[in-house]
Amino acid sequence: MNTTIDFENNDDLAFFGKVNASISHELKNILAIISEAAGLLQDLTEMMSRGQKIELEMLKTCSQDIVEEIQRGFTTIKQMNKFSHSVDAPLKSVNIIEVIDLMINLAGFLSFASKIRFDLPQDGASTVSTCPFRLQNLVYHTLVFAFKSVGVDGKIEIAVHRETNGSARIAFSGLGILGKQPFPSEETKKIAKSIGAEIRMAENSQAIDILVPQYSKNSV
Amino acid sequence: MSNENKIKLLMVDDEVKFLESISKRLALKGFDVIAASNGEEAIASAENDFFDVAVVDFQMPGMDGAQVLKTLKERHQYLEIIMLTGHATVDSAVECTKLGAFKFLEKPYDFENLVKTIQEAYEARLKKKFEHNQKRMDEIQKLSISSSPLGLLRALARLDDKEK
Repeated sequence: MNTTIDFENNDDLAFFGKVNASISHELKNILAIISEAAGLLQDLTEMMSRGQKIELEMLKTCSQDIVEEIQRGFTTIKQMNKFSHSVDAPLKSVNIIEVIDLMINLAGFLSFASKIRFDLPQDGASTVSTCPFRLQNLVYHTLVFAFKSVGVDGKIEIAVHRETNGSARIAFSGLGILGKQPFPSEETKKIAKSIGAEIRMAENSQAIDILVPQYSKNSV
Repeated sequence: MSNENKIKLLMVDDEVKFLESISKRLALKGFDVIAASNGEEAIASAENDFFDVAVVDFQMPGMDGAQVLKTLKERHQYLEIIMLTGHATVDSAVECTKLGAFKFLEKPYDFENLVKTIQEAYEARLKKKFEHNQKRMDEIQKLSISSSPLGLLRALARLDDKEK
């Protein structure tokens, strides 16, 4: 088994690049909000220094926006850091809930992202031994497909179940028929195969199950 | 200054906080600003109100900036539109230029530069309107000699139709 993710593999590199680009876009949005709020604050203070009456509420809103956006920036950077470190080890014990949560957040930066309801597993068991980066890639690809199938006003549901053979089943439901495209694509199949995961699509195309084996050996 | 004398601006961005702050700043600079947080809202606002200039975010969920630009330009050909983008690419800039955008600015931009660009866009709109009026006068002159009063009215209606 390789000890690193093979970035000569274009699919891996493309995914890494795509996610980082959307993170940088999000960070730029955050900075744009901070920049405008700070600019407005400056304009208001200048007006006050000229003796003009300014509503205190406006100043409060501006500073509150700055504080909230800085917090949003920190959260985004934390997610970016977590994603970047997912290439550190090709095989490790992974909390599937954390992977899904991270991918929901990162895919949420896409302009066509729809709403998601994520149900935490009742049994609490959610650990698998797999390649975290490839599992992320698989979940992200599925989320992108799901978003496109319901549109920005739609809502998809995700749940995680533990199967009797120990594998984890990530269930995507509530999928729609908008912009219908074949799923899984060849690329998605390849990613699934590399970690020994299986993709099952419901006959009506409105649900997808991803079965991730408890142990993915020699997968990368 | 009364609102009648102000440049009427349509500001379109899905980042609500950004939209609120920039709208307030532009209002403090003397613009009459109406904010819309998505493409559909922007198009509806332009149908119900009169605008000199629109500033539109390129990347928005649902109807994206390019679609908004195209629709607004089709329906209000003298409205000048400035596109804002998080990450400018040559392709997106070319696309917007082809669709008739006045300018393409990348975020974060210099606020004073945005103000200047809006003023330039407004001047471009005035110039186009002046040219239209000039054309209208020429048409009246020509038709007053050769056409019936009804023909003259019809020709003017055709010209005015273009200036929505």
